[in-house]
Amino acid sequence: MADILGSFEQAVLLAIVRLADGAYGRAILKEVAVRLDRDVAAGAVQATLERLERKGLVRSRLGSGTPIRDGRARRFYTVLPEGLRALNDARKTHDSVWRGFTRPLKARG
Amino acid sequence: MPNPPEVAHAILRALLPADARESVSGDLLEEYRDSRVPAAGELRADLWYWRQVGGIWLRDYWWLVVPAVLVLVVGDIFNTFRAPSGASYLDGLPKIVPAAISPLGVVFLLALATAYGNWRTQRWGGGFVAALGVSVIVWLFMAAWGSATFYPFAQVQQSNPYWVQAWHWSTHRAAPPTVLGLNPDTPDETFLRWIFWDNVGALIIGGIAMLVASFVFGGIGAILGEIRSHWRRAAISPE
Repeated sequence: MADILGSFEQAVLLAIVRLADGAYGRAILKEVAVRLDRDVAAGAVQATLERLERKGLVRSRLGSGTPIRDGRARRFYTVLPEGLRALNDARKTHDSVWRGFTRPLKARG
Repeated sequence: MPNPPEVAHAILRALLPADARESVSGDLLEEYRDSRVPAAGELRADLWYWRQVGGIWLRDYWWLVVPAVLVLVVGDIFNTFRAPSGASYLDGLPKIVPAAISPLGVVFLLALATAYGNWRTQRWGGGFVAALGVSVIVWLFMAAWGSATFYPFAQVQQSNPYWVQAWHWSTHRAAPPTVLGLNPDTPDETFLRWIFWDNVGALIIGGIAMLVASFVFGGIGAILGEIRSHWRRAAISPE
């Protein structure tokens, strides 16, 4: 099995899956912030996207800009089959680790 | 439409590699205009923007800041804590050891930061921003370190012959230098007061030296970048 994805990497990959054709930098940043319910640094998302691309889990392409960003190009991301396999492996590991525990956990005594 | 702080924006564009420059700066600009300014106003949005630029810088260059800080801290410790005779504990070691934990070590790291920044961004500004950022953070850390350690270190120094001799020599010179017409080194100056101003002077001179080094190395990187671009253009269209 390949390296297990970190939780932030999973959040970023799942954001790309959810956003589908609309998965570009800023949209991914907002989606991750919503799912993690906290402010997220743009640098953290950018570094994670670069790392995922180096690992061969996602692919990117430059797309059109919009007036609100003064026409600057947007970089769109797509999850590759290897990325989906990594996500499924991470899910399997997570479920295996938590198997047998009720949620939420309660303190004894 | 509102715009983020120009200086922060310029630093960001100098900081990013070529393939990320347009998209990442565009993402931050879109978030700034679409979410941050409407939600919190321009001032808070500007602060947010600065934090994002700082975060991106730190993610790329923290590995240069940490050794630079360590070099100065370890150097300061060995300079303060000496053998009872006043000799340094580094005496007798190969010369590279004291050199590495001296300001020379920081100069080397600034040169490395410039080279890495230039290589990474393929722009001379990238190297300059890298070195300047390292200089600023290291200087701020040393100001905090100096403030925190001044008094406890001075208690150790004032009973060591090396420091006592330095204090005596400094305050009894025949022609002491003056700064803006002031001469803090007078024979009646206490050790504590003398070492305080010595530390302040070191901080000021260290800061200026790092700033100058950043400009010099950044400038060298710029010249090399221009030469490299010229060669590339000549290779593409030799006529």
